[in-house]
Amino acid sequence: MGTYIARRLLLMIPTLLGITLLVFSLVALAPGGIGAGLQVSGGQMSDTSRVMQMQAYLEDRYGLNDPVIVQYGRWLAQISPLKFGPRFQRSPSGAWVRPPRDLPEPPLQGWFPAASQEAVANAGTAGLAAFDAMKAQDANDRHRALQRDSEASRRAYVGTVRATREALADWARANDRKDLLDAKGAADPARFEGMQAVPGSPSWDALAKAAEAMHVARLQAIERAAAERASFDAQPYPSIGLPLIPGTMWLGPPDLGVAFSRNRPVADLIAEALPVTLLLNLIAFPIIYLIAIPTGVLAAMKRGSWFDSASGAIFLMLWSVPTVLAGVLLIGFVANKQYLGLFPVSGLHDTQAENWTFLPGAGTRGWLMDMVWHVALPVTCLVYGGFAVLSKQCRAAMLDNLSADYVRTAKAKGVPRMEVVIRHVFRNSLLPLITMFVGIFPAMLGGSVIVERIFSVPGMGTLILQAIDLRDREIILANTFMIACVNLLALLLADILYAVADPRVSYE
Amino acid sequence: MSVQARTKGFLDASKATVPLLSVSDLAVSFDNASNPGGPRIQAVAGVNMTLFPRQTLAVVGESGCGKSVTAMSAMQLIPRPPGRFDRGSIRLEGRELLTLPEHEMLKVRGGEIAMIFQEPMTSLNPVYSIGDQILEAILLHQRLEMTQAIERAIGALDEVGIYNRLKERFKADALALAQGKRDLLDEYPHRFSGGMRQRVMIAMALACQPKVLLADEPTTALDVTIQAQILDLLRQLQRDRGMGIMLITHNLGVVAENADVVCVMYAGRVVEYAPVFDLFENPMHPYTRGLFSSIPGLHDMRSRLTTVEDVTNDPAEFRRVPGVVPWWPHMDAAARPALADAREPYILHQIGPQRWLGCWRTPDLAGHASPPPSLDYRRPD
Repeated sequence: MGTYIARRLLLMIPTLLGITLLVFSLVALAPGGIGAGLQVSGGQMSDTSRVMQMQAYLEDRYGLNDPVIVQYGRWLAQISPLKFGPRFQRSPSGAWVRPPRDLPEPPLQGWFPAASQEAVANAGTAGLAAFDAMKAQDANDRHRALQRDSEASRRAYVGTVRATREALADWARANDRKDLLDAKGAADPARFEGMQAVPGSPSWDALAKAAEAMHVARLQAIERAAAERASFDAQPYPSIGLPLIPGTMWLGPPDLGVAFSRNRPVADLIAEALPVTLLLNLIAFPIIYLIAIPTGVLAAMKRGSWFDSASGAIFLMLWSVPTVLAGVLLIGFVANKQYLGLFPVSGLHDTQAENWTFLPGAGTRGWLMDMVWHVALPVTCLVYGGFAVLSKQCRAAMLDNLSADYVRTAKAKGVPRMEVVIRHVFRNSLLPLITMFVGIFPAMLGGSVIVERIFSVPGMGTLILQAIDLRDREIILANTFMIACVNLLALLLADILYAVADPRVSYE
Repeated sequence: MSVQARTKGFLDASKATVPLLSVSDLAVSFDNASNPGGPRIQAVAGVNMTLFPRQTLAVVGESGCGKSVTAMSAMQLIPRPPGRFDRGSIRLEGRELLTLPEHEMLKVRGGEIAMIFQEPMTSLNPVYSIGDQILEAILLHQRLEMTQAIERAIGALDEVGIYNRLKERFKADALALAQGKRDLLDEYPHRFSGGMRQRVMIAMALACQPKVLLADEPTTALDVTIQAQILDLLRQLQRDRGMGIMLITHNLGVVAENADVVCVMYAGRVVEYAPVFDLFENPMHPYTRGLFSSIPGLHDMRSRLTTVEDVTNDPAEFRRVPGVVPWWPHMDAAARPALADAREPYILHQIGPQRWLGCWRTPDLAGHASPPPSLDYRRPD
C-alpha cells in the first residue's frame, strides 16, 4: 500500500505539469494574451506617456515580454517547493520579502553605449553607502524604505527604456525606415544593432535625449537596487523555508504569486474567499447526502411503490431546473420585499452583524442566526439539484445488491430484513458511491460560480469569475493548480477507500 | 463421531416415523409482470412431499418445474408480492410454516431449516470475512459468548474439512494449528476456491444444528471430484445428526448415488414419488422414463439422443400402468381420459406400497384423497 501511494503521488507531478501547461496555454491564447487585463486597466489613464510607462512597468514586473514557455517555466519555479537563490524572508506583516531582481540591460548599446564599468561600480558603492547611512534605523522601516525606493527607480528606468524605444520608432518613421519596425509598429532594437548612427534631425535629438535619460535612470536604479540588496543580505527579517545549499537552493512553500488585477498576493485572496465557499458547501453537502442516500435506499427497498416513483420524479424535476432560473426566481419572489420578502437578497451578513452578539439577544437576531438567514437561499440553490444523481445512484447500487446471491444467503440464515439491508446490501452498495463521494472535495473548493454570482457571495466562484474577466493569470493558475491538486488527491483517496471498503481490492 | 454414536443415531432415526417436513398440496403463483392483467404464473400447483429424519429426498425435474420455489416456500423466502401462497401447507414437525409470522420465521430460518445454494462463488458476501458470516449465523440463533461462538465456528469449519490441509501442515504443532484455524476465520471469501466456498456455506448452514437442510443444487457449479467430496460430506453430516436433506438437483447420477427417496416434478406438480432403487429400476411415469432415456449412454451409438418428448409422445407409454392414466399436461385432448372434476384434473395417487404416481383424476379415482406421500425409507448402507 505504501509503495502504491508513493507511486501515485509521484505520478501526480507530470499530471499537474500537464494540467497547468494546458491552462497556461489557454490563458496565453485568449484574445489579448496574458497581459490583456492589465492593458485594460492601463488604458483608463488619460496621459499616453503615463500609460506607456505603466505598461512598461507591469510588463517588467510580471515578465510579460518573455515568450509564453519562459513565463510558464518561471511560474513553475515559483510554484515549485524547490527554489533557487537566497531564501525569502517574512516581514512582520506576513508578506514575503524577495531579493531584488536583476535590472534589464538597456537597448541599442551600439548607438548609445552603456555607462562605463566604473560608473556602474560607483553607483553600486553609492548604494552600499546609502545602506550604511541608514544602518542605525529600525531594520523593518529601513528595508521597506529601500525596497520602495528601489522599486520606484526601477519603474522609472523601465519607463525610460520604453520611452527610448518609442523615440526609436519615431525616428525610424521620420526616416522612412519601416523595415526597422515590427508588425505592431514598435521598434525592434535588434534590427538597429550594427547600423551607423545618423545624428542631426529633430527626431534624432528626441531619441538622444530619451537615451540619455534612460542611462541616468539606469545608474540610479543600480544604486538603489544595490542598497536594497545590501539591506536584504543583512537579514532584516527571519528567513522562510528549509535551506538545502545555503544561498543557492532551498525548500519553501509554493508561491501563488501576486494577482495582476488587485495587486495582492493570490494566497491572501484565496484565504478570504475559501472560507465563504467552504461555509456554503459544508452546509449544502451534508443536506444533499442526508436526504439523497436514505431516499435512494428506501426507494430501492420499496421498488415500484409510490414513494419510489414520487421521489424519483421530484428529484428529477428539481435537477432539471437551471440554477440561474431558480436563483433569480428565489430572489424575485422569496427575497423581494414586494412579494414574500422572507430572506435577504444578497451578501452573507447584515451590515450591523459585526456589532451583534453571537447568539440571539439584546434586540438583535445575533450573528449566527443572521448568517443562517443570509445563506438560506444560496444553500437552497446549491442543494436542490444534487439529490437526483446521488439518490438514483444509491438506488441502483442497492437494487443490484438486493437481488445478489449473498443476500439470499443472509436471509436464509435468519438475518432480520432491516439488518440484511443495512449490513449486507448497503455495505456493498457503498463501493460505487465512493467515487461520487470523493468528487465532493474539488467541488467544495471550487465554489459555484452561478450561485455566488446571483447572491453576491464573495466566494471562490466570484473570485475565479472576476479573474477570468480580467485575464488575471495568477489567480486562474493558482485556482486551477489548487483544484487539480485536490482532485488528484481525492482520486487517490477514492482508491485507498476502495481497498478499505472492499477486501477484494488490494494494491500490494 | 464414533461408529457407536453413528449407529445410535441410525437406530433413533429409524424409530422416528413423524415426518420432519411435510408439504401438502402447495400452490404458489406469481404476478405476471409482462402481462399485468393476465393470469398469474403458477409455479407450483399442488405439490406433495414428506421428508423424514436422516432421509435424503431428491427432488428432480427440469428448470422451472417448481423445485426451488417449493424449497424457498418452506423458508418463506418467496418475495410476496409478486409471489403468493395460493393453498396448501408446509409443516415442520407439525408446525405450519406458511403462515408463521416473520419474527418466528427468523428463528426457523438458519436455526431449524438451513439452505445451501447453487452458486458458491456469489453466495458469500464478499466484504465480510468467512468468520464474520458464520458467527452471524451462530449468534442469531444461539445465546453464546463470543469466545464460545468462535469455538463453534471453528468446529463447524472443522467438520466440513476446511482445516484438512492445515492439519497436515501443523501435524506436530498444536499451538500453530489452533492459531491457523483462528486466522482462517479472518479470510475473505475471494481467497477460497469454489469447493472451499461451498464447504464454508455448508459449515454456515450447519453451524446451528438445523433439522432440515434444503440443498438447492449444491454441486452444480463444482467440478466432479469436488462434487463427490461435497456429497460425501453432506451424507456423513446427515448420519451424524439425523438431519433430513432435500436435495434439489438436475443430476441423475447424484440422485442415484445419494438419494433415499426421489420426487420427480414437472410443471409445478409431482409426477412420480418412489424409493430411489425402485424408481431407477422401474420408472413408471412417461416423463420419468423420458428423463432416464435422455441420459446418453456410452455404448448405444445413436446419431440423435432420445428426448423427453420422444417418450411422452408415445401413447403406449401411458398404458403401462394398469387402471390409471399418468397425468401429462401436453396430452392430446383425444387421448385424455374422462375426468371426475374438470377443476381438479390431477391427483398424486398411491399405486403401490412405496409408490406414488401423478394421475388424471378419472371417475375411478374420484373419491381418493391425496395425502402427502409418506415414505419413511432409507437406502441400505
